[in-house]
Amino acid sequence: MYAWVFRHLPGPLPVRVLLALVLLAGAVAALFTWVFPAVAPYLEVLGGDPALD
Amino acid sequence: MAGLGGGEAAYRLRMPSTRRHARRRPGSAGAVVAGVLGEVLLTLGVVLALFVVWQLWWTSVVAGREADAVVDAFRQAVPAAAAAETPLRTDDPPVAEPVAHGGTIGVLTVPRWEGLTNNAMPVVEGTSQDLLDRALAGRYSSTQQLGEVGNTVLAGHRRSYGDSFRYVNRLEPGDPIIVETATTWYVYEVTGDEIVTPDTTDVLLPVPRQPGVEPTERTLTLTTCHSLTLGEYGNDHRWITYARFVGWLDRADGTPPQLREGTA
Repeated sequence: MYAWVFRHLPGPLPVRVLLALVLLAGAVAALFTWVFPAVAPYLEVLGGDPALD
Repeated sequence: MAGLGGGEAAYRLRMPSTRRHARRRPGSAGAVVAGVLGEVLLTLGVVLALFVVWQLWWTSVVAGREADAVVDAFRQAVPAAAAAETPLRTDDPPVAEPVAHGGTIGVLTVPRWEGLTNNAMPVVEGTSQDLLDRALAGRYSSTQQLGEVGNTVLAGHRRSYGDSFRYVNRLEPGDPIIVETATTWYVYEVTGDEIVTPDTTDVLLPVPRQPGVEPTERTLTLTTCHSLTLGEYGNDHRWITYARFVGWLDRADGTPPQLREGTA
């Protein structure tokens, strides 16, 4: 999977390493911005509602 | 023989890629599936670790910024308190004006938390999760207003989303808790704490845990998450800290000396 992506990145090796890092940063940003806030209410181990019910 | 040499060189150059393909191709479908599955599992592990990082660190970064913006807006909207340290008044304090849900009531300061967590957090009206997730302390709307005889109760996150009340367990009897509104400083001191189940709503009563009893004094109660097994990292129980009103000051008259306690 990752090897396949890496092989399909254009350019010489340093460029491809850089592109891979950019992709990785984008994936982490997407997780932090959209995915984690969306699933957090279902994983209330830590950030649960501290108010009394 | 130059032609042959060139051909050989070309052949050699192509070698690695052909061989790579050759190595991959015979791999059975099972090997490919196992490879992909391994990568997926590895990815899941990394994503889970990132989730913990997000929850414990990033939520506080974002919430802290939002809380700071609320405090800044509050400080700009009201005249600065007189700086002179002035003894507290012990006559009846003014009762805080009602505020709409989500509106800013004032700022909560706990000197004991100085240097540990954000120690000047906004107090807003309401305890819905979207408010508390912004590192705000929320007033239970069913409880008394600041300055009113009875019990004013605030909720805040223990861990993540600003760690608002994270170190509630370090509070000791006598520790000051200060709430400032646009006009008034309300000063309380901690009297004790207890750990209850999340459905123990009688801590919100005018006299906490005593249904039907008429209040005669003013109290402040903080509620936050607690776990019997995970401590500050869990939310199966609630940590309740009780404080009693000790005095007040008009902001125009000065600043309570208690504000600097614990910072000295």
